[in-house]
Amino acid sequence: MTGVAITGLGLVGAYGLGTEGLAAALASGAARGAEIDRSAGYHLPDSARSAILAGNLQLAPWVHPGEARRMSPPSKFAVAAARIALAQAGLTPGGGEPGEGEATAVVLATAFGPASFTDQLMRQIVREGPQAASPFYFSECVANAPAAQIAIAAGARGANVTVVEREAGVLLAVAKGAAEIASGRARRALVGAAEEIPPLVHALLDRFRALSRGAAGEEAGRPFDRRRDGFLAGEGAAVLVLEREEDALARGARPLARIAGWVRAFDPSAPATDWGTGAAGLALALDRGLARFGLDAGGFDRVVSGASGALAGDRLESAVLRAAWRDRPLPPVLAPKGVTGEYGGGFLSAAVLAAAGMPFGPTAGFSEPDPELGVIPHDGRPLAPPRRLLVTGLAAGGAAVWLALEAAGAAP
Amino acid sequence: MVRERCGPARRVAVTGVGAVSGFGWGIEPLWAGLSSGRAAIAGFGRFDHAGHRTHVAAEVPALPAALARRTSGRRLSIADRFALSAAFEALAAAGLPGDLAGEVAGVYFGSSTGGMWEGERFIAGLLTATPRLRTSLLASQQVNGPGDAVARRLGVSGPVETLSSACASGGLALGAALDALRAGEVDLALAGGADSLCEITYGGFNALRSVSEEPCRPFRAGRDGLSIGEGAVVLVLESEERALERGARPLAFLAGAGASCDAHHMTAPEPAGRGAAAAIRAALADAGLAPGEIDFVNAHATGTPLNDAAEWRAFVEVFGARAAGLPVTATKGSIGHLLGSSGAIEAVATVLCLRHGEVHPTPAGGEVDPELPVDLVLGSPRPLTARAALSTSLAFGGSNAALVFTRAGA
Repeated sequence: MTGVAITGLGLVGAYGLGTEGLAAALASGAARGAEIDRSAGYHLPDSARSAILAGNLQLAPWVHPGEARRMSPPSKFAVAAARIALAQAGLTPGGGEPGEGEATAVVLATAFGPASFTDQLMRQIVREGPQAASPFYFSECVANAPAAQIAIAAGARGANVTVVEREAGVLLAVAKGAAEIASGRARRALVGAAEEIPPLVHALLDRFRALSRGAAGEEAGRPFDRRRDGFLAGEGAAVLVLEREEDALARGARPLARIAGWVRAFDPSAPATDWGTGAAGLALALDRGLARFGLDAGGFDRVVSGASGALAGDRLESAVLRAAWRDRPLPPVLAPKGVTGEYGGGFLSAAVLAAAGMPFGPTAGFSEPDPELGVIPHDGRPLAPPRRLLVTGLAAGGAAVWLALEAAGAAP
Repeated sequence: MVRERCGPARRVAVTGVGAVSGFGWGIEPLWAGLSSGRAAIAGFGRFDHAGHRTHVAAEVPALPAALARRTSGRRLSIADRFALSAAFEALAAAGLPGDLAGEVAGVYFGSSTGGMWEGERFIAGLLTATPRLRTSLLASQQVNGPGDAVARRLGVSGPVETLSSACASGGLALGAALDALRAGEVDLALAGGADSLCEITYGGFNALRSVSEEPCRPFRAGRDGLSIGEGAVVLVLESEERALERGARPLAFLAGAGASCDAHHMTAPEPAGRGAAAAIRAALADAGLAPGEIDFVNAHATGTPLNDAAEWRAFVEVFGARAAGLPVTATKGSIGHLLGSSGAIEAVATVLCLRHGEVHPTPAGGEVDPELPVDLVLGSPRPLTARAALSTSLAFGGSNAALVFTRAGA
């Protein structure tokens, strides 16, 4: 079966355009939270106030203002991230050999879609009447608008798929894109996630007590920490260029990493709005799923954990890891969501950077181990470059996806 | 190197189907309604549409008391309830229990709106400063709500994914299920979708002037837009070997799936239909069939001027001179456009046509557009012992999906 290489990574978000800012934040273990605008009146008085926001990014080098005015925020993020990724991969959007567009798939994840446009549309319908609804807001508020805009921008005429499985969606998108290539249906895929966190989404997440309200002082995502009280929502987009490894090597591209496998499962014990308790079932599914790719938990020398500081989420994550590793010691566990926040692709970017051997500093937000969890995330000491990494994604509501990455230099 | 271990090539059987549509709760009312040539598109009561430009939709009738138990749950959306009803019906039809905890099973759903109706009520409450808003309205408001609700209720522990690529979602979801079964990732797949009527999509399509004031008239001269529908559908898919081993009778086979993207425009299809044609060709290749082996088509056929024209051109590109003689039916003329789940319910309509040996008619709506001379099945069901059929889905944003089904016993 075809090998799948990651040859480009485009990131747009709170840490700027490209991965330099995120890499610096991960190395120092410093998050960049910002205050959310609560003036719309959607928030409860005692709500969370912080998020990892993209802010006033200058996207013009990657998305012409004339294009941008026809796009929702996540579409702009996605198109910019895709173009950055393609440039890093040494590819020209819409260029290349005949048939390249047809052989290029797009698989993008979102949890909430272009929610600021949904909000605007609802305001028009409720306050001014249904006939005030803007066709522009409607056409760009659909969940697949960012994936469609990437296809238009990149001339990608292969399968175009948007996946929606909350916190697990971004890894699901990567898995589906890799499967498109491994099956031979596509030679290349642009995969990742795009998200915006407008006040409406922030307020609704807060009403479910998903967000940190600063129980331990500052509002922060505190993965695996005893004082964790929720996550920080993050916005932006991350897009990876996936291609057949033989194609990448033939054209002289330098892969960042390789995709070695993926596992999908579901925890039916999860309520619709929180994580469940089905660690044993998930660990069994992980074990069986890895075996389909000839992999085993013991063969990973790094975990890039999706732990975010969610109370039940981190509890489930740690229980699954401990069950999957059984009596074996866990390898170093990186938990970047204290920096990247939840959603928006920052986490995926951090995982690829980890696979590429980028050094990680101490885990942002972590200082007090939780004895109930039994997982201590990375403390910042120097680590040998990883050979094989397990990236974990457990979603509230039950979905679960794991991704196996290999360092580009490691023997397959 | 990706070393996913695949089993031998498997024929994937449809062994059970369930549906909720404007014709009612169940497959029986769906097939009876489709066969009758009537449209379930009429006035509706989900929300006050007096301020909207149009006033018809294919709304699901009230839940029969007999089905209340299997769709109960305080925090479920309307779309969740549709999905649960369809899932239980499909499992019963397949001779399977309503608890899949012991199975290596997955759920593959397509949806555009999920629990958006309930989300809208909450947001409208925020905008009008309504006191004591119920957070439970938001519990299943996400697009992945119905698929997840089905997996949760049935105890599914395998892959669960919801795809939301507008009108292609359901077709793509069936394709994802086919992949998973062929790869041996699951032994059993529940594929389908669920969408409920809500004001954003109704108002939004109206803002685009894409909704007809009358029931939609696919492929007709003077057609002027689509009709919104709602409902859910679930197909039980499994390998032919497994089905036969446990004594289940396949209703049909899902023989192939294909997908493509126009990469052209957010709301308008590529006018020459090249993207749609690419998806159809991919599905045919996946099924190992030539265009000449397709006996009828269940078309996406929304009834909008541009979509139907582009789809016709795709048919001409793939089927050549045969396009004008190929029987075509347009399920949306009867039950409206179910958005993300349309591809899945039209897949079920295709299976039912193969099973019953007749192609269901499209409701009356005037003369076929002479510019798009499809052989539209009209009036009454057309007897046809078809061996293979095609179902197409062409979405907002340019995503296209095509599915090929073959008759069981052919």
